Amino acid sequence: MATLDVDRPMSAEEKKVIFASSLGTVFEWYDFYLYGSLAAIIAKQFFSGLDEGSAFIFALLAFAAGFIVRPFGAIFFGRLGDMIGRKYTFLVTILIMGLSTFIVGILPNYASIGVAAPVILICLRLLQGLALGGEYGGAATYVAEHAPHDKRGAYTSWIQTTATLGLFLSLMVILGTRTAIGEAAFAEWGWRVPFIVSIALLAVSVYIRLSMNESPAFQKMKAEGKTSKAPLTESFGQWKNLKIVILALIGLTAGQAVVWYSGQFYALFFLTQALKVDGATANILVAVSLLIGTPFFIVFGSLSDKIGRKPIIMLGCLLAVLTYFPVFEALTKAANPDLYAAQQKNKVVVTADAAECSFQFNPTGTVKFTSSCDIAKQVLASSSVSYENAAGAAGTPATIKIGETEIPSYSSKGLPADEAKTKAADFKKAVADALKEAGYPAKADPAKVDQVKITIILTYLVILVTMVYGPIAAMLVEMFPTRIRYTSMSLPYHIGNGWFGGLLPTTAFAIVAQTGNMYNGLWYPIIIAGMTFVIGMIFVKETKDVDIYQHD
Amino acid sequence: MLKIFVGFVVFAALAIFVILKGGNSLDMSGEKHGDEAVHAPAEAASGAASDASAAK
Repeated sequence: MATLDVDRPMSAEEKKVIFASSLGTVFEWYDFYLYGSLAAIIAKQFFSGLDEGSAFIFALLAFAAGFIVRPFGAIFFGRLGDMIGRKYTFLVTILIMGLSTFIVGILPNYASIGVAAPVILICLRLLQGLALGGEYGGAATYVAEHAPHDKRGAYTSWIQTTATLGLFLSLMVILGTRTAIGEAAFAEWGWRVPFIVSIALLAVSVYIRLSMNESPAFQKMKAEGKTSKAPLTESFGQWKNLKIVILALIGLTAGQAVVWYSGQFYALFFLTQALKVDGATANILVAVSLLIGTPFFIVFGSLSDKIGRKPIIMLGCLLAVLTYFPVFEALTKAANPDLYAAQQKNKVVVTADAAECSFQFNPTGTVKFTSSCDIAKQVLASSSVSYENAAGAAGTPATIKIGETEIPSYSSKGLPADEAKTKAADFKKAVADALKEAGYPAKADPAKVDQVKITIILTYLVILVTMVYGPIAAMLVEMFPTRIRYTSMSLPYHIGNGWFGGLLPTTAFAIVAQTGNMYNGLWYPIIIAGMTFVIGMIFVKETKDVDIYQHD
Repeated sequence: MLKIFVGFVVFAALAIFVILKGGNSLDMSGEKHGDEAVHAPAEAASGAASDASAAK
């Protein structure tokens, strides 16, 4: 068992362990970005023939596939991993993930087989979600149980770098295919290629994983007949373990997840949607900052072996809490100074009957907000306008006042689709004209976009991500005994990242629309990261010196 | 370690090249959920398509 504190270079076997484990996580990310980049095409191929009612159900199922099932996968495969072994379990998870991705590539579309196409697609997505739930915990546990005692942070941090690798790999395959066959052919059939070529990644992963040995800790436990017969009951049915699972969630992974989503996804969303920087520029700036930041996963993972996991993760959360507001404001000044000036100069007021205004939280995207207040706020929030709220008389429609111009909003409830569309276009145009007059730019002026400053700011945000994410695998592994490690660490990881992190964009938008300030969406990650900092500092114990085999 | 560093630099250069070439047609915002996975905006798709064509 790898427990000796020896200052030696990584052995060939250890390198193979890290490589084999990381490949699965690369797969996870490759798939994650494929579905993002190709969403428009996939929707057209599989869902465009559905009526509104069916589309609603499929939207809910797609939401479930993305968010809900992963923790169930964590429980299901975690249990298997603790009972039959890490090696065979994460061989199964990667097979399910890889084959599901491949089958999407050869699946007939709606035009060929009708409603069976979206049904099969959603089933494949649900299967992938389940498998994903078991993949990360297996990889982290497997690597950590092979790592020397004083290098678990360094070894497991390699798994954390694969998010960047998966992103760029997916972009390379997509763009390579597009360039090779042309845009029309790509939209028609070429989009299948990135899914189909994933079979090569799967073949390599399976070949390597088959050649690996079972984790020595698990082998020993199995030989001694000490494996858990009921990992779920032990993990979640006994308070002494459940307490640690809950602490791992609210005192570690919840904060880690929101810092990660803010630094990578929300920063990109903020640049393009709030600051109106064109997509190409935003992509390249985010990509450069990700590439600069990626080595820091290893830096902070290795540093956590020396100074501890907790100080680094907690400092990452604290810095997020203290600096997000000034950093995102600096991002506005660097990316769209005209917008910043307009926000400082002009007062915009929404006057509305409070009973008409909803908190526009819409994670599944299926709720339609139709009141005059909600429509007015949606239009302003999507134009990055900071506004004040004033109480209107009961029953009167909301109005927007920009400078001296007052624009009445409208309710689209019960309107025929064509009329609602026309009213929406007229209203948006009226608001856009008034905003233009008040100095709000429709887009960020490329000549005024300070790319160097933006890259520095984004790199800082990515470095916060590496602080919280680099040491997290080692810390989660060290919190639980070998007999229930896979089950216990997988669940908080996937609830933290899937639910707390995954709901960040929609929650942030709802807060922005509700409060009228485009920075207020940051309250969500700040509150969650603050909660993690406080709970983590008080209740979570440092784990770097824990002997992870002491209870075996 | 040197081999990994060199490999990463080559990979990074290739990634930047791909993104520069991809322009507006690349979506780096990750997986889509719920309604946006089912109802992708037609204009976004066609916009992306035309941008990609322009980038070639």
